[in-house]
Amino acid sequence: MSASLRLAAAVVATLTLALAAPAPAFERSGDRKILVFAGRQEVPTIDPSVKYDWSIRMAQQSLYDALVKYVGNPPQIVPWLAERWESTPDAKTWTFHLVKNARFHNGDPVTAEAVRFSFARTLKLNQGPAWMLSDFLKEDGIKVLDDSTIQFNLSQPYAPFLSFLPWWYVMNGKQVLASEQGGDLGQKWLTTNAAGSGPFKIKRWEQGVLYELEAVDNYWKGWPSKDHVGGVIYKIVREAGAQRAALLRGEADIVEGLSTDDFDQVAKMPGIVVPNFPGMTTFGIKMNTQKGPTKDPNFRKAVCYAFDYDALVKIYNGHAVLETSPFPNATRGHVAVPGIYRQDLAKAKEFLAKSASPNGGVELEYVYVQGLEEERKLGLVLIDNLQKLNITVKMVPLIWPNMVARGSKPDTSPDMMAVFTTPVSTDPDAVAYQYHKNSWGKYYGSSFYANDDVWALIDRARTTPRWEERAPLYAEIQKRIAADAPEIFGMLMNRRWAMRDHVKGFQFSPVRFTGEVDLYPLAIVAK
Amino acid sequence: MLGYVARRLALLGLMLFGLLCITFAISHVVPGDPARLAAGPDATASMVETIRAEYGLDQPLSVQFWRYVRGIARGDLGRSLRTRETVGSDLLRYFPNTFELVTGAMLIAVGLGVPLGILAAVYRDTWVDHLTRVVSVSGVAIPAFWLGLMLQLLLALDWGLLPLGGRLGLMQAPPAPITRLLVVDALLRGQWATVADAFAHALLPMVTLCFPALASIMRVNRAEMIETLRQDYIVNARAQGISDVRIVGRYALKNAMVPTLAMIGLRYGWMLGGTVLVETVFDWPGIGLYAVSSAVSSDFQPIMGVTLLLGLNFMLANFLVDLAYGWLDPRTREAGAA
Repeated sequence: MSASLRLAAAVVATLTLALAAPAPAFERSGDRKILVFAGRQEVPTIDPSVKYDWSIRMAQQSLYDALVKYVGNPPQIVPWLAERWESTPDAKTWTFHLVKNARFHNGDPVTAEAVRFSFARTLKLNQGPAWMLSDFLKEDGIKVLDDSTIQFNLSQPYAPFLSFLPWWYVMNGKQVLASEQGGDLGQKWLTTNAAGSGPFKIKRWEQGVLYELEAVDNYWKGWPSKDHVGGVIYKIVREAGAQRAALLRGEADIVEGLSTDDFDQVAKMPGIVVPNFPGMTTFGIKMNTQKGPTKDPNFRKAVCYAFDYDALVKIYNGHAVLETSPFPNATRGHVAVPGIYRQDLAKAKEFLAKSASPNGGVELEYVYVQGLEEERKLGLVLIDNLQKLNITVKMVPLIWPNMVARGSKPDTSPDMMAVFTTPVSTDPDAVAYQYHKNSWGKYYGSSFYANDDVWALIDRARTTPRWEERAPLYAEIQKRIAADAPEIFGMLMNRRWAMRDHVKGFQFSPVRFTGEVDLYPLAIVAK
Repeated sequence: MLGYVARRLALLGLMLFGLLCITFAISHVVPGDPARLAAGPDATASMVETIRAEYGLDQPLSVQFWRYVRGIARGDLGRSLRTRETVGSDLLRYFPNTFELVTGAMLIAVGLGVPLGILAAVYRDTWVDHLTRVVSVSGVAIPAFWLGLMLQLLLALDWGLLPLGGRLGLMQAPPAPITRLLVVDALLRGQWATVADAFAHALLPMVTLCFPALASIMRVNRAEMIETLRQDYIVNARAQGISDVRIVGRYALKNAMVPTLAMIGLRYGWMLGGTVLVETVFDWPGIGLYAVSSAVSSDFQPIMGVTLLLGLNFMLANFLVDLAYGWLDPRTREAGAA
C-alpha cells in the first residue's frame, strides 16, 4: 500500500470514528468529571476591575474570591476571605480579618495588601464595579493594619457597603503588576488570564468559542462535595434551539436562556431537571415623566390601572409573580405596598378624566427590545388594554444600543419603554437609587422620575447606619414611588435553567444575574 | 496585461477608501453611545467619560477619522470596546474560520454545481434535467438557517451522525497555529484526529452554506452550456465525428465557464460576508458573528474593520475573476487595454 493510500485510509478511519462516536453524558478528562455549560453569552473579559455581567461574573466568581459571598435564597452574606468583620456604629469604618490559609493559584498567600491593591486598582481604573463604592471610598481610605487585617475608612457613612463587597474580587497584586504593559495595571493580561484564589483556574480560553476551567484540587476553602466537578467547560451556543438540542443529546449538562415554552417542554423529559425559582429581576414599563402625555401623573395612573397584570404571568406560562412594590421581593426591607396597581377599568377612566387628556385620543410609543418575544406580546396586551381608554399604542422594536440611547435623555425617551432590571445587591439602596436623580440617563432611569422628597429620603436612608432606622425610610420610599406611578410595576420572572439529572448541588441565589450559576457547589453524580 | 492589472489595483484602492469613508460616516451617525454600553448599565457619568477618553471617542469626528486613517496606514485597525482586544487580532481569530467554511462550501458547490450543470445541459429536458431543476429551485428557495436547523435536527440530534455545532469537539485541543486555518494547521502538524473532528464539525455548515451557491452555479452553467452547444463550431466538431465527451470537456466547457466564473467570484465574495445565519445556527466562530455582536454593541472599530476586510475580499474576488476572464477570453484583456 502506498503512503498516500495509507494516509487516506487513516483519515477515513478517524473520520468514521469521529462520526460514529456516541455523545457522552458528561465529559471526562482523566479522572476528572467535566461539566459542560452551554450559554449564549460570551465572556469578553474576566478582569474583575473592568466589567461584569452574568457570564463574566460566573467566570470571575469561579476564578476569584471576595471578602464575603452571597449564598442561598434568601441571599445571605457569609464570610469568605474575611473570617469576620466589624464596623463602627456610624458605618464609616469597616475592619475585616482575613483567613490565614487562603492561597492564590500560584501559591502566594492572600494578604491584606492584596485586598488593598485590588480595591485601589478598581477605584483607579474607574470601570466595572467601581461605581458601587467610588462615592464613599477613596484609595487613601484603605489601610493595611497587618498581614491579615484591612480597614476601610469611608468618606461618609454608607450602610450598604457590605452588600457590594461580594462583587469586589481579590487579585494577586504581584502577579498583576508583573504582567503590566505600558502602565495599564495589568488590564490587557487580566482580560484572558486570572490572578485569583478561587475554586477554579483557567485551563483553556478560546475567545468566542469555549472557556475551560479546572477545579483547584487543594482549594483553600475545601470542596462541599467529594463528587465536585473536576472542571467546567463553558461553551458558547448562540441559538436557543441548538442549546436545547445540545442538552437533549447529552452534549451539555446545563443550559440557560431557553424560551418559556422550551423550558416547560424539556422539564417533562426524562433525565432533565429544571430548577425554577422566583428571581430579583423586575420587569417594568417605564413611562417618561418629563414629556408628553405620560408627564401627567393622573394619566400614568390611568395607564397603570388599565393594564392587564395577569397577562404578564400568562406570557411566562405562570412562571412569574407580580410585583407588589417597586422593590423586588428578595430585597431587604421590601413591603407590599397597599393598593398597588391592578387592572381596574373604572379607576383607570376616573384618573384619565382628571388628566390633561380626559378623553384619551393620544398615541403612546412603546419601545421594546427587538427580537424579545415576551416584550412584543406585552406590547399587544398594551394595545388591547389602552384601546379601552381611547389611547392607541405604537410598538417600536429597537436593538438594545438604540434603546439605551433613546432612554438617555428626557427629550428622546419614549412614552413607554420595556425594561428588565436586576439589582446588584440585596440592600434596598440598590433599587431605591434607580429612582434617584443620579440615575437619570441610565436605562433604568428612563422614566426620569423626579420627586425631591423621595430623593432626600433615598439620600438619608443610604447614610443611616442602623437598619431599624433605615427600614421605615425604605417602606416610605416604596409607597411614595408607587404613588407617583413612574412605571407600570410589572413582575418578577422566575429564573430557570435546564440541566441533566446527574448534576447535583445546584444552589440558587436570586441576587445572581439571570443566567449566572455558582459553579463551586456543583457535583456530578453518575448513575 | 501588466497595465491592466495596475489599473484594476488602483481602482481597488480608491474603492476601498470610499468604503472606509462611507462606513465611518454610517457608524458614527447611527444612534447609540458605545462608551456607555461598554461602561455597563450602572456606570456613572465619570466612568463613561473614562472609557470615552480611553478610546478617543471624546475627540471631534474629524480627529477620530484622521486617527483611524492614520492607524490603517500603519496596519492598526483600532481596538474593540467589547472584546478589549485590537481589531486586527480579533479578525485574525475569526476570519480564518469563515474563510475555511466558505472555501469548503464553495469547493462543494463548484464540485457539484458545474458537473450537474453540464449534465442538465447535455441531457436537456430529460429526468436528469428535471432533477437538477428541483435541486436548483430548492437551493434558491430554502432559507439557509432553516436548512441548517433541519439538517442539525435530522443528522445530529435524531441520527447522531454528526456534531450539532462548533468548530471542534469539546475535548479536542486545536493545533498550535501556523496558518491559523484550523484544518490546514492540523494537517501540517499531523494531528489526524483533529482533522477528522474538524471535518465532522464542518460538514453540516458547509453543506448548508453551499446549497444556494450550488443552485446558482448549476443554473448558470446549464444555461451557458446549452447556449454554447448550439454554436456553429460545436456543430462543426460533431460533424467531424469528435466524441461528445471531448466536445463538452475540451471545447464547450471553457466558453461556458466564463459567466459561471463570474458567478462563482461574486458568490464567494458575498458568502464571506453573508455567513452570519449559518454561523449562528452552528456556533461557528466566524467573522459574521463577530460583526453582528459588534453591531449590536455599537462597537464601531470592529464594524469598520470587518467592512473593510469583507470589502477587500469582495473586490479581490472580483479582481481575480477579471484576471481569469482575461485568461479565458483574450478579447476582454484587449478591451481593457484599449
